[in-house]
Amino acid sequence: MSVIELKNINKYFGSGISKVHVLHDVNFSANRGELILVVGPSGSGKSTFLTIAGGLQTPTSGEVIVEGKPIAQLSTAQRDKLRLNQIGFVLQSYSLVPYLKVKEQFTFVNKVKRQGNLNEAELAGLLKQLGIEQLTNKFPGELSGGQTQRVAIARALFANPDIVLADEPTAALDSARVAEVGKLFKELAETRDKAVVVVTHDTRLMQFADKAYRIMDGKMTETSVTKAAAE
Amino acid sequence: MYLALKEIRHEKLRYGLIISMIVLIAYLIFILTGLAFGLAGENTQAIDSWDAKSIVLNKDSNINLSQSVITSDQAKNAKLTSKQAVIGSTPVVAKDKKRAKVSATFIGAKRNQFVLKDLKVSSGRKARSSHEVVVDQKFKDEGYRLGDKITLNSSNDSYQIVGFTKNAKINISPIIYGTVSTWQSLRGMMNVKVVGSAIVSKTAKYHAKNSHLKTYSISSFISKLPGYSAQNTTFGFMIGFLMIISLIIIAVFLYILTMQALPIYAVLRAQGIPARTLVATVTSQSLILMVAGLVIGAALTAATASIIPIGVPMSFNIPVLTWISIGLLIMGFIGSAIPAQKIATVDPVKVIGG
Repeated sequence: MSVIELKNINKYFGSGISKVHVLHDVNFSANRGELILVVGPSGSGKSTFLTIAGGLQTPTSGEVIVEGKPIAQLSTAQRDKLRLNQIGFVLQSYSLVPYLKVKEQFTFVNKVKRQGNLNEAELAGLLKQLGIEQLTNKFPGELSGGQTQRVAIARALFANPDIVLADEPTAALDSARVAEVGKLFKELAETRDKAVVVVTHDTRLMQFADKAYRIMDGKMTETSVTKAAAE
Repeated sequence: MYLALKEIRHEKLRYGLIISMIVLIAYLIFILTGLAFGLAGENTQAIDSWDAKSIVLNKDSNINLSQSVITSDQAKNAKLTSKQAVIGSTPVVAKDKKRAKVSATFIGAKRNQFVLKDLKVSSGRKARSSHEVVVDQKFKDEGYRLGDKITLNSSNDSYQIVGFTKNAKINISPIIYGTVSTWQSLRGMMNVKVVGSAIVSKTAKYHAKNSHLKTYSISSFISKLPGYSAQNTTFGFMIGFLMIISLIIIAVFLYILTMQALPIYAVLRAQGIPARTLVATVTSQSLILMVAGLVIGAALTAATASIIPIGVPMSFNIPVLTWISIGLLIMGFIGSAIPAQKIATVDPVKVIGG
Protein backbone atom coordinates (compact mmCIF):
# COMPACT_ATOMS: atom_id res chain seq x y z
CA MET A 1 0.00 0.00 0.00
CA SER A 2 1.19 3.48 -0.83
CA VAL A 3 2.06 5.52 2.20
CA ILE A 4 0.85 8.66 0.50
CA GLU A 5 -1.37 8.95 -2.53
CA LEU A 6 -2.79 11.93 -4.43
CA LYS A 7 -5.76 11.17 -6.68
CA ASN A 8 -7.04 13.46 -9.43
CA ILE A 9 -5.88 16.62 -7.63
CA ASN A 10 -6.92 19.93 -9.14
CA LYS A 11 -6.10 23.28 -7.65
CA TYR A 12 -7.37 26.67 -8.77
CA PHE A 13 -6.29 30.05 -7.45
CA GLY A 14 -8.29 33.26 -7.85
CA SER A 15 -11.63 33.65 -9.55
CA GLY A 16 -13.20 35.07 -12.68
CA ILE A 17 -10.75 36.17 -15.36
CA SER A 18 -7.83 35.89 -12.92
CA LYS A 19 -8.62 32.26 -12.14
CA VAL A 20 -5.53 30.09 -12.55
CA HIS A 21 -5.52 26.33 -12.86
CA VAL A 22 -2.35 25.42 -10.99
CA LEU A 23 -2.61 21.62 -10.76
CA HIS A 24 -4.36 19.50 -13.43
CA ASP A 25 -5.60 16.06 -12.43
CA VAL A 26 -2.43 15.21 -10.55
CA ASN A 27 -1.97 11.57 -9.58
CA PHE A 28 0.91 10.57 -7.38
CA SER A 29 1.87 7.78 -5.02
CA ALA A 30 4.88 6.96 -2.87
CA ASN A 31 5.86 3.81 -1.03
CA ARG A 32 8.05 3.25 1.99
CA GLY A 33 11.74 2.85 1.20
CA GLU A 34 11.47 4.94 -1.97
CA LEU A 35 13.12 8.19 -2.94
CA ILE A 36 10.72 9.97 -5.30
CA LEU A 37 11.62 13.09 -7.20
CA VAL A 38 9.14 15.66 -8.46
CA VAL A 39 11.07 17.69 -11.00
CA GLY A 40 9.95 20.86 -12.69
CA PRO A 41 10.93 24.45 -13.35
CA SER A 42 9.90 27.46 -11.25
CA GLY A 43 6.17 28.18 -11.45
CA SER A 44 5.31 24.66 -12.59
CA GLY A 45 3.20 23.91 -9.46
CA LYS A 46 5.83 21.99 -7.47
CA SER A 47 5.33 23.93 -4.24
CA THR A 48 1.53 23.76 -4.54
CA PHE A 49 1.86 20.00 -4.95
CA LEU A 50 4.10 19.83 -1.86
CA THR A 51 1.79 21.90 0.35
CA ILE A 52 -1.26 19.87 -0.71
CA ALA A 53 0.58 16.60 -0.12
CA GLY A 54 1.62 17.89 3.32
CA GLY A 55 -1.92 18.88 4.28
CA LEU A 56 -1.06 22.58 4.42
CA GLN A 57 -3.72 23.50 1.90
CA THR A 58 -6.69 21.71 0.47
CA PRO A 59 -7.13 20.86 -3.22
CA THR A 60 -10.07 22.28 -5.17
CA SER A 61 -10.91 18.72 -6.11
CA GLY A 62 -9.36 15.30 -5.68
CA GLU A 63 -8.19 13.34 -2.67
CA VAL A 64 -5.04 13.10 -0.57
CA ILE A 65 -4.68 9.78 1.22
CA VAL A 66 -2.08 9.22 3.92
CA GLU A 67 -1.62 5.68 5.24
CA GLY A 68 -4.92 4.72 3.62
CA LYS A 69 -6.93 7.55 5.22
CA PRO A 70 -8.22 10.59 3.29
CA ILE A 71 -7.18 13.80 5.00
CA ALA A 72 -9.79 16.14 3.48
CA GLN A 73 -12.12 15.99 6.49
CA LEU A 74 -9.40 16.55 9.11
CA SER A 75 -9.63 19.65 11.31
CA THR A 76 -6.70 22.08 11.61
CA ALA A 77 -5.62 20.43 14.87
CA GLN A 78 -5.81 16.98 13.30
CA ARG A 79 -3.74 18.16 10.34
CA ASP A 80 -1.17 19.60 12.79
CA LYS A 81 -1.06 16.22 14.45
CA LEU A 82 -0.70 14.45 11.12
CA ARG A 83 2.26 16.64 10.15
CA LEU A 84 3.83 16.31 13.58
CA ASN A 85 3.55 12.53 13.61
CA GLN A 86 3.61 11.31 10.04
CA ILE A 87 5.11 13.96 7.79
CA GLY A 88 8.55 15.50 8.12
CA PHE A 89 9.28 18.70 6.22
CA VAL A 90 12.72 19.69 5.00
CA LEU A 91 12.53 23.19 3.63
CA GLN A 92 14.86 25.36 1.62
CA SER A 93 15.31 27.83 4.47
CA TYR A 94 14.14 28.56 8.01
CA SER A 95 13.90 24.84 8.77
CA LEU A 96 15.68 25.34 12.08
CA VAL A 97 14.89 27.63 15.00
CA PRO A 98 17.83 30.08 14.96
CA TYR A 99 18.11 30.49 18.72
CA LEU A 100 18.15 26.77 19.52
CA LYS A 101 21.37 24.75 19.45
CA VAL A 102 21.29 21.65 17.26
CA LYS A 103 20.58 19.37 20.25
CA GLU A 104 17.87 21.76 21.47
CA GLN A 105 16.03 21.48 18.14
CA PHE A 106 15.33 17.86 19.12
CA THR A 107 14.55 18.76 22.75
CA PHE A 108 11.90 21.17 21.45
CA VAL A 109 10.29 18.41 19.35
CA ASN A 110 10.34 16.17 22.42
CA LYS A 111 8.51 18.84 24.40
CA VAL A 112 5.76 19.17 21.79
CA LYS A 113 5.52 15.53 20.73
CA ARG A 114 6.17 13.42 23.79
CA GLN A 115 5.93 9.97 22.22
CA GLY A 116 7.14 8.19 19.14
CA ASN A 117 10.31 10.21 18.60
CA LEU A 118 13.73 8.62 18.22
CA ASN A 119 15.33 7.71 21.52
CA GLU A 120 18.79 8.94 22.52
CA ALA A 121 20.64 6.02 20.96
CA GLU A 122 18.62 6.22 17.74
CA LEU A 123 19.21 9.96 17.54
CA ALA A 124 22.94 9.43 18.06
CA GLY A 125 22.88 6.86 15.23
CA LEU A 126 21.01 9.26 12.95
CA LEU A 127 23.41 12.13 13.68
CA LYS A 128 26.34 9.80 12.98
CA GLN A 129 24.75 8.63 9.74
CA LEU A 130 24.33 12.27 8.72
CA GLY A 131 27.86 13.13 9.86
CA ILE A 132 26.75 15.88 12.21
CA GLU A 133 27.36 14.30 15.60
CA GLN A 134 30.00 16.92 16.38
CA LEU A 135 27.63 19.83 15.77
CA THR A 136 25.14 19.35 18.60
CA ASN A 137 26.31 22.38 20.57
CA LYS A 138 26.24 24.77 17.65
CA PHE A 139 23.57 27.28 16.72
CA PRO A 140 22.20 27.14 13.13
CA GLY A 141 23.98 30.43 12.42
CA GLU A 142 27.31 28.70 13.05
CA LEU A 143 26.69 25.96 10.46
CA SER A 144 27.54 25.85 6.77
CA GLY A 145 24.74 25.45 4.17
CA GLY A 146 25.33 21.71 3.85
CA GLN A 147 25.49 21.20 7.61
CA THR A 148 22.28 23.19 8.08
CA GLN A 149 20.52 21.01 5.52
CA ARG A 150 21.72 17.83 7.26
CA VAL A 151 20.52 19.10 10.63
CA ALA A 152 17.16 19.99 9.02
CA ILE A 153 16.93 16.42 7.72
CA ALA A 154 17.77 15.06 11.17
CA ARG A 155 15.15 17.37 12.68
CA ALA A 156 12.54 16.06 10.22
CA LEU A 157 13.45 12.42 10.86
CA PHE A 158 13.66 12.78 14.65
CA ALA A 159 9.87 12.67 14.95
CA ASN A 160 10.04 9.35 13.10
CA PRO A 161 7.57 10.26 10.31
CA ASP A 162 6.44 7.86 7.57
CA ILE A 163 6.91 10.48 4.88
CA VAL A 164 9.59 13.11 4.36
CA LEU A 165 8.69 16.00 2.08
CA ALA A 166 11.71 18.03 0.98
CA ASP A 167 11.46 21.35 -0.85
CA GLU A 168 14.51 22.20 -3.01
CA PRO A 169 16.95 20.67 -0.50
CA THR A 170 19.91 21.14 -2.83
CA ALA A 171 19.37 24.78 -3.69
CA ALA A 172 22.65 26.70 -3.42
CA LEU A 173 24.74 23.52 -3.07
CA ASP A 174 27.61 22.61 -5.39
CA SER A 175 27.60 19.33 -7.37
CA ALA A 176 29.61 17.42 -4.79
CA ARG A 177 27.20 18.44 -2.05
CA VAL A 178 24.20 17.64 -4.27
CA ALA A 179 25.53 14.13 -4.73
CA GLU A 180 26.01 13.79 -0.97
CA VAL A 181 22.44 14.90 -0.27
CA GLY A 182 21.09 12.59 -3.00
CA LYS A 183 22.94 9.60 -1.53
CA LEU A 184 21.79 10.50 1.93
CA PHE A 185 18.12 10.69 0.98
CA LYS A 186 18.41 7.38 -0.87
CA GLU A 187 20.09 5.76 2.11
CA LEU A 188 17.60 7.22 4.61
CA ALA A 189 14.64 6.05 2.53
CA GLU A 190 16.04 2.52 2.36
CA THR A 191 17.53 2.06 5.81
CA ARG A 192 14.78 3.85 7.72
CA ASP A 193 11.91 2.67 5.55
CA LYS A 194 10.58 6.15 4.77
CA ALA A 195 8.91 7.55 1.69
CA VAL A 196 11.14 10.49 0.78
CA VAL A 197 9.57 12.92 -1.68
CA VAL A 198 11.89 15.59 -3.01
CA VAL A 199 10.47 18.50 -4.96
CA THR A 200 13.23 20.11 -6.99
CA HIS A 201 14.31 21.65 -10.27
CA ASP A 202 17.73 20.04 -9.77
CA THR A 203 18.00 17.05 -12.14
CA ARG A 204 21.41 16.15 -10.67
CA LEU A 205 19.47 14.28 -7.95
CA MET A 206 17.79 12.04 -10.52
CA GLN A 207 20.48 9.33 -10.47
CA PHE A 208 19.58 8.57 -6.83
CA ALA A 209 15.78 8.40 -7.30
CA ASP A 210 13.67 5.26 -7.38
CA LYS A 211 10.85 7.02 -9.15
CA ALA A 212 10.43 10.43 -10.77
CA TYR A 213 7.58 12.69 -11.77
CA ARG A 214 7.86 15.58 -14.12
CA ILE A 215 5.61 18.56 -13.48
CA MET A 216 5.07 21.23 -16.10
CA ASP A 217 2.33 23.87 -16.10
CA GLY A 218 0.54 21.98 -13.37
CA LYS A 219 0.45 18.70 -15.24
CA MET A 220 2.30 15.82 -13.60
CA THR A 221 3.52 12.74 -15.43
CA GLU A 222 5.54 9.81 -14.18
CA THR A 223 8.78 9.62 -16.04
CA SER A 224 11.61 7.14 -16.18
CA VAL A 225 14.53 8.05 -13.97
CA THR A 226 17.08 7.82 -16.73
CA LYS A 227 14.98 9.97 -19.10
CA ALA A 228 14.55 12.69 -16.55
CA ALA A 229 18.26 12.59 -15.70
CA ALA A 230 19.15 12.94 -19.34
CA GLU A 231 16.99 16.08 -19.62
CA MET B 1 7.95 28.69 27.71
CA TYR B 2 10.93 26.67 26.40
CA LEU B 3 11.21 28.68 23.17
CA ALA B 4 10.48 31.93 25.04
CA LEU B 5 13.35 31.46 27.50
CA LYS B 6 15.74 30.21 24.83
CA GLU B 7 15.09 33.20 22.59
CA ILE B 8 15.49 35.68 25.45
CA ARG B 9 18.78 34.04 26.48
CA HIS B 10 20.02 34.04 22.90
CA GLU B 11 18.99 37.61 22.11
CA LYS B 12 20.27 39.19 25.31
CA LEU B 13 20.81 42.70 23.98
CA ARG B 14 17.49 42.91 22.20
CA TYR B 15 15.46 41.66 25.15
CA GLY B 16 17.70 43.48 27.63
CA LEU B 17 16.68 46.76 26.01
CA ILE B 18 13.00 45.90 26.26
CA ILE B 19 13.39 44.87 29.89
CA SER B 20 15.29 48.07 30.67
CA MET B 21 12.42 50.11 29.28
CA ILE B 22 9.91 48.18 31.37
CA VAL B 23 12.20 48.67 34.40
CA LEU B 24 12.16 52.44 33.87
CA ILE B 25 8.39 52.51 33.45
CA ALA B 26 7.79 50.28 36.49
CA TYR B 27 10.25 52.38 38.53
CA LEU B 28 8.54 55.60 37.49
CA ILE B 29 5.11 54.19 38.29
CA PHE B 30 6.25 52.92 41.71
CA ILE B 31 7.90 56.23 42.60
CA LEU B 32 4.91 58.26 41.40
CA THR B 33 2.56 55.99 43.34
CA GLY B 34 4.76 56.39 46.42
CA LEU B 35 4.67 60.16 46.01
CA ALA B 36 0.92 60.16 45.37
CA PHE B 37 0.30 58.17 48.54
CA GLY B 38 2.86 60.18 50.49
CA LEU B 39 1.26 63.47 49.53
CA ALA B 40 -2.25 62.13 49.99
CA GLY B 41 -1.20 60.90 53.42
CA GLU B 42 0.14 64.33 54.39
CA ASN B 43 -3.25 65.76 53.48
CA THR B 44 -5.17 63.39 55.69
CA GLN B 45 -2.79 62.03 58.37
CA ALA B 46 -4.43 63.92 61.22
CA ILE B 47 -7.96 63.12 60.07
CA ASP B 48 -7.00 59.45 59.77
CA SER B 49 -5.52 59.50 63.28
CA TRP B 50 -8.80 60.84 64.70
CA ASP B 51 -10.60 57.88 63.15
CA ALA B 52 -13.57 60.16 62.44
CA LYS B 53 -16.39 59.11 60.11
CA SER B 54 -18.15 62.47 59.71
CA ILE B 55 -17.63 66.16 60.31
CA VAL B 56 -20.07 68.96 61.03
CA LEU B 57 -19.23 72.32 59.43
CA ASN B 58 -20.96 75.62 58.92
CA LYS B 59 -22.92 75.02 55.73
CA ASP B 60 -21.66 78.31 54.25
CA SER B 61 -18.01 77.30 54.66
CA ASN B 62 -17.83 75.51 51.29
CA ILE B 63 -16.64 72.39 53.18
CA ASN B 64 -13.50 74.26 54.20
CA LEU B 65 -12.38 73.71 57.77
CA SER B 66 -10.52 77.03 58.01
CA GLN B 67 -13.55 78.95 56.75
CA SER B 68 -16.01 77.27 59.08
CA VAL B 69 -17.13 78.79 62.36
CA ILE B 70 -19.76 77.26 64.62
CA THR B 71 -21.36 79.64 67.08
CA SER B 72 -22.70 78.70 70.50
CA ASP B 73 -26.26 79.33 69.30
CA GLN B 74 -25.79 76.99 66.34
CA ALA B 75 -24.35 74.27 68.54
CA LYS B 76 -26.82 74.54 71.41
CA ASN B 77 -28.85 71.51 70.30
CA ALA B 78 -25.82 69.43 69.36
CA LYS B 79 -25.43 66.54 71.76
CA LEU B 80 -21.79 65.64 72.21
CA THR B 81 -20.91 62.17 73.45
CA SER B 82 -17.51 60.51 73.75
CA LYS B 83 -17.64 59.95 70.01
CA GLN B 84 -17.72 63.65 69.12
CA ALA B 85 -15.09 66.33 69.53
CA VAL B 86 -15.05 70.05 68.83
CA ILE B 87 -12.07 71.44 66.95
CA GLY B 88 -11.03 74.93 65.94
CA SER B 89 -8.67 75.24 63.03
CA THR B 90 -6.65 78.14 61.71
CA PRO B 91 -3.48 78.48 59.65
CA VAL B 92 -0.54 79.95 61.62
CA VAL B 93 3.13 80.72 61.27
CA ALA B 94 5.09 79.40 64.23
CA LYS B 95 8.38 80.99 65.13
CA ASP B 96 11.12 80.84 67.68
CA LYS B 97 14.02 83.26 67.86
CA LYS B 98 16.55 80.47 67.33
CA ARG B 99 14.66 78.45 64.73
CA ALA B 100 13.23 78.75 61.24
CA LYS B 101 9.61 79.81 60.84
CA VAL B 102 7.18 76.96 60.15
CA SER B 103 3.85 77.34 58.39
CA ALA B 104 1.41 75.17 60.30
CA THR B 105 -2.23 74.57 61.17
CA PHE B 106 -3.33 75.22 64.72
CA ILE B 107 -5.95 72.78 65.92
CA GLY B 108 -7.65 73.80 69.14
CA ALA B 109 -9.51 71.04 70.92
CA LYS B 110 -10.82 70.09 74.35
CA ARG B 111 -8.66 67.88 76.53
CA ASN B 112 -11.60 65.72 77.58
CA GLN B 113 -12.64 64.96 73.97
CA PHE B 114 -11.09 62.26 71.79
CA VAL B 115 -8.95 64.48 69.54
CA LEU B 116 -6.67 65.47 72.43
CA LYS B 117 -7.61 62.64 74.80
CA ASP B 118 -6.51 59.93 72.35
CA LEU B 119 -3.54 61.92 70.98
CA LYS B 120 -0.38 59.78 70.98
CA VAL B 121 2.86 61.63 71.67
CA SER B 122 6.09 60.19 70.31
CA SER B 123 8.16 62.16 72.82
CA GLY B 124 7.34 64.48 75.74
CA ARG B 125 3.80 64.59 77.09
CA LYS B 126 0.34 65.94 76.38
CA ALA B 127 -0.48 69.62 77.07
CA ARG B 128 -1.83 70.42 80.51
CA SER B 129 -2.44 74.15 80.16
CA SER B 130 -3.50 76.56 77.44
CA HIS B 131 0.12 77.73 77.00
CA GLU B 132 1.40 74.27 76.20
CA VAL B 133 1.21 72.66 72.78
CA VAL B 134 1.94 69.31 71.16
CA VAL B 135 3.37 69.64 67.64
CA ASP B 136 3.93 67.45 64.63
CA GLN B 137 7.28 65.68 64.16
CA LYS B 138 8.01 68.11 61.30
CA PHE B 139 8.93 70.70 63.94
CA LYS B 140 11.55 68.31 65.32
CA ASP B 141 12.95 67.85 61.79
CA GLU B 142 13.16 71.66 61.56
CA GLY B 143 15.25 71.80 64.74
CA TYR B 144 12.60 72.51 67.39
CA ARG B 145 13.01 70.72 70.70
CA LEU B 146 10.90 69.98 73.76
CA GLY B 147 10.75 73.06 75.95
CA ASP B 148 11.10 75.51 73.07
CA LYS B 149 8.69 78.42 73.27
CA ILE B 150 7.01 79.41 70.06
CA THR B 151 4.88 82.39 69.14
CA LEU B 152 2.05 82.13 66.63
CA ASN B 153 1.39 84.74 63.93
CA SER B 154 1.77 88.25 65.37
CA SER B 155 0.62 87.30 68.84
CA ASN B 156 2.96 88.06 71.75
CA ASP B 157 1.75 85.02 73.65
CA SER B 158 4.19 82.15 73.69
CA TYR B 159 3.43 78.45 73.84
CA GLN B 160 5.79 75.82 75.13
CA ILE B 161 6.31 72.65 73.09
CA VAL B 162 5.71 69.83 75.58
CA GLY B 163 5.32 66.97 73.12
CA PHE B 164 5.85 65.75 69.59
CA THR B 165 3.41 63.59 67.73
CA LYS B 166 3.86 61.62 64.52
CA ASN B 167 1.61 61.73 61.48
CA ALA B 168 -0.15 64.93 62.45
CA LYS B 169 -0.54 66.81 59.20
CA ILE B 170 -3.57 68.19 57.48
CA ASN B 171 -3.44 69.51 53.94
CA ILE B 172 0.35 68.95 54.01
CA SER B 173 0.61 71.38 56.90
CA PRO B 174 2.02 70.22 60.29
CA ILE B 175 -0.40 70.55 63.17
CA ILE B 176 0.04 72.38 66.45
CA TYR B 177 -2.41 70.93 68.96
CA GLY B 178 -3.59 73.40 71.59
CA THR B 179 -6.78 74.52 73.28
CA VAL B 180 -9.99 75.95 71.83
CA SER B 181 -9.44 79.19 73.78
CA THR B 182 -6.04 79.64 72.09
CA TRP B 183 -7.74 79.06 68.73
CA GLN B 184 -10.31 81.74 69.66
CA SER B 185 -7.51 84.09 70.53
CA LEU B 186 -5.68 83.41 67.25
CA ARG B 187 -8.89 84.04 65.29
CA GLY B 188 -9.58 87.24 67.29
CA MET B 189 -12.87 85.83 68.58
CA MET B 190 -12.35 86.16 72.31
CA ASN B 191 -15.51 88.19 72.75
CA VAL B 192 -17.61 86.17 70.31
CA LYS B 193 -19.66 83.21 71.41
CA VAL B 194 -18.12 80.50 69.22
CA VAL B 195 -17.64 76.79 69.81
CA GLY B 196 -15.07 75.99 67.16
CA SER B 197 -14.64 75.36 63.44
CA ALA B 198 -16.16 71.91 63.34
CA ILE B 199 -17.43 68.94 65.26
CA VAL B 200 -15.76 65.70 64.25
CA SER B 201 -17.63 62.48 64.95
CA LYS B 202 -16.62 58.85 65.08
CA THR B 203 -20.11 57.94 63.90
CA ALA B 204 -21.26 58.43 60.33
CA LYS B 205 -24.81 59.57 61.10
CA TYR B 206 -24.20 62.36 63.60
CA HIS B 207 -26.29 65.53 63.17
CA ALA B 208 -25.91 68.81 65.05
CA LYS B 209 -29.63 69.68 64.60
CA ASN B 210 -29.20 73.18 63.27
CA SER B 211 -30.07 74.48 59.84
CA HIS B 212 -26.78 76.43 59.59
CA LEU B 213 -24.72 73.31 60.20
CA LYS B 214 -24.26 70.40 57.86
CA THR B 215 -22.77 66.94 58.34
CA TYR B 216 -20.35 65.66 55.72
CA SER B 217 -18.79 62.25 55.42
CA ILE B 218 -15.04 62.27 56.03
CA SER B 219 -14.41 61.09 52.47
CA SER B 220 -16.33 64.02 50.95
CA PHE B 221 -14.61 66.39 53.39
CA ILE B 222 -11.19 65.01 52.38
CA SER B 223 -12.01 65.25 48.69
CA LYS B 224 -12.70 68.97 49.21
CA LEU B 225 -9.36 69.66 50.91
CA PRO B 226 -7.69 72.36 48.79
CA GLY B 227 -5.73 70.74 45.95
CA TYR B 228 -6.32 67.21 47.20
CA SER B 229 -8.52 65.92 44.36
CA ALA B 230 -6.56 67.78 41.66
CA GLN B 231 -3.32 66.31 42.95
CA ASN B 232 -4.66 62.77 43.12
CA THR B 233 -6.27 63.05 39.70
CA THR B 234 -2.98 64.28 38.23
CA PHE B 235 -1.05 61.37 39.72
CA GLY B 236 -3.79 58.98 38.63
CA PHE B 237 -3.54 60.22 35.06
CA MET B 238 0.26 60.00 35.07
CA ILE B 239 0.18 56.43 36.39
CA GLY B 240 -2.59 55.50 33.94
CA PHE B 241 -0.69 56.94 30.98
CA LEU B 242 2.49 55.14 32.04
CA MET B 243 0.56 51.87 32.14
CA ILE B 244 -0.76 52.53 28.64
CA ILE B 245 2.79 53.39 27.50
CA SER B 246 4.00 50.06 28.91
CA LEU B 247 1.23 48.32 26.96
CA ILE B 248 2.29 50.06 23.75
CA ILE B 249 5.99 49.27 24.31
CA ILE B 250 5.30 45.58 24.86
CA ALA B 251 2.88 45.43 21.94
CA VAL B 252 5.18 47.28 19.50
CA PHE B 253 8.36 45.42 20.41
CA LEU B 254 6.76 41.99 20.45
CA TYR B 255 4.99 42.81 17.20
CA ILE B 256 8.27 43.79 15.51
CA LEU B 257 10.09 40.73 16.89
CA THR B 258 7.21 38.48 15.89
CA MET B 259 7.02 39.88 12.37
CA GLN B 260 10.76 39.28 11.98
CA ALA B 261 10.36 35.71 13.20
CA LEU B 262 7.14 35.00 11.30
CA PRO B 263 8.83 32.78 8.65
CA ILE B 264 10.21 30.61 11.48
CA TYR B 265 6.78 30.37 13.08
CA ALA B 266 5.32 29.51 9.66
CA VAL B 267 7.79 26.66 9.21
CA LEU B 268 7.11 25.42 12.73
CA ARG B 269 3.40 25.42 11.91
CA ALA B 270 4.20 23.47 8.70
CA GLN B 271 6.11 20.99 10.85
CA GLY B 272 2.94 20.45 12.87
CA ILE B 273 3.80 22.51 15.95
CA PRO B 274 0.36 23.52 17.28
CA ALA B 275 -0.54 27.22 17.09
CA ARG B 276 -1.27 27.26 20.84
CA THR B 277 2.35 26.26 21.57
CA LEU B 278 3.62 29.21 19.54
CA VAL B 279 1.04 31.62 20.97
CA ALA B 280 2.04 30.47 24.46
CA THR B 281 5.64 31.26 23.51
CA VAL B 282 4.96 34.91 22.71
CA THR B 283 2.60 35.31 25.68
CA SER B 284 5.06 33.79 28.13
CA GLN B 285 7.82 35.92 26.60
CA SER B 286 5.75 39.01 27.33
CA LEU B 287 5.11 37.89 30.91
CA ILE B 288 8.78 37.03 31.47
CA LEU B 289 9.77 40.51 30.25
CA MET B 290 7.17 42.17 32.46
CA VAL B 291 8.09 40.14 35.56
CA ALA B 292 11.80 40.83 35.05
CA GLY B 293 11.07 44.55 34.55
CA LEU B 294 8.82 44.69 37.61
CA VAL B 295 11.28 42.87 39.89
CA ILE B 296 14.19 45.09 38.89
CA GLY B 297 11.95 48.19 39.01
CA ALA B 298 10.79 47.22 42.52
CA ALA B 299 14.40 46.68 43.65
CA LEU B 300 15.39 50.10 42.29
CA THR B 301 12.38 51.66 44.04
CA ALA B 302 13.36 50.02 47.34
CA ALA B 303 16.93 51.33 46.90
CA THR B 304 15.60 54.81 46.16
CA ALA B 305 13.28 54.72 49.17
CA SER B 306 16.21 53.89 51.44
CA ILE B 307 18.22 56.95 50.39
CA ILE B 308 15.49 59.50 49.76
CA PRO B 309 15.57 62.57 52.10
CA ILE B 310 13.10 62.58 55.03
CA GLY B 311 11.34 65.69 53.70
CA VAL B 312 10.16 63.94 50.52
CA PRO B 313 6.64 62.70 51.16
CA MET B 314 6.82 59.13 49.94
CA SER B 315 4.76 56.26 51.17
CA PHE B 316 4.75 52.77 49.70
CA ASN B 317 1.46 51.00 49.98
CA ILE B 318 2.32 47.35 49.29
CA PRO B 319 -1.23 46.18 48.39
CA VAL B 320 -1.60 49.07 45.93
CA LEU B 321 1.84 48.43 44.41
CA THR B 322 0.92 44.75 44.11
CA TRP B 323 -2.25 45.70 42.23
CA ILE B 324 -0.28 48.04 39.98
CA SER B 325 2.17 45.21 39.26
CA ILE B 326 -0.71 42.91 38.42
CA GLY B 327 -2.09 45.69 36.19
CA LEU B 328 1.25 45.93 34.38
CA LEU B 329 1.32 42.16 33.91
CA ILE B 330 -2.16 42.36 32.40
CA MET B 331 -0.91 45.18 30.12
CA GLY B 332 1.93 42.89 29.01
CA PHE B 333 -0.53 40.10 28.38
CA ILE B 334 -2.74 42.41 26.31
CA GLY B 335 0.38 43.73 24.55
CA SER B 336 1.17 40.21 23.38
CA ALA B 337 -2.33 39.71 21.96
CA ILE B 338 -1.63 41.28 18.55
CA PRO B 339 1.59 39.33 17.86
CA ALA B 340 -0.10 36.20 19.25
CA GLN B 341 -2.94 36.69 16.80
CA LYS B 342 -0.39 37.05 13.95
CA ILE B 343 1.22 33.78 14.94
CA ALA B 344 -2.10 31.98 15.34
CA THR B 345 -3.10 32.93 11.82
CA VAL B 346 0.27 32.57 10.07
CA ASP B 347 -0.03 30.66 6.80
CA PRO B 348 2.92 28.29 6.21
CA VAL B 349 2.02 28.14 2.52
CA LYS B 350 3.05 31.79 2.11
CA VAL B 351 6.56 30.98 3.37
CA ILE B 352 6.98 27.71 1.53
CA GLY B 353 5.28 29.03 -1.59
CA GLY B 354 2.49 27.55 -3.61
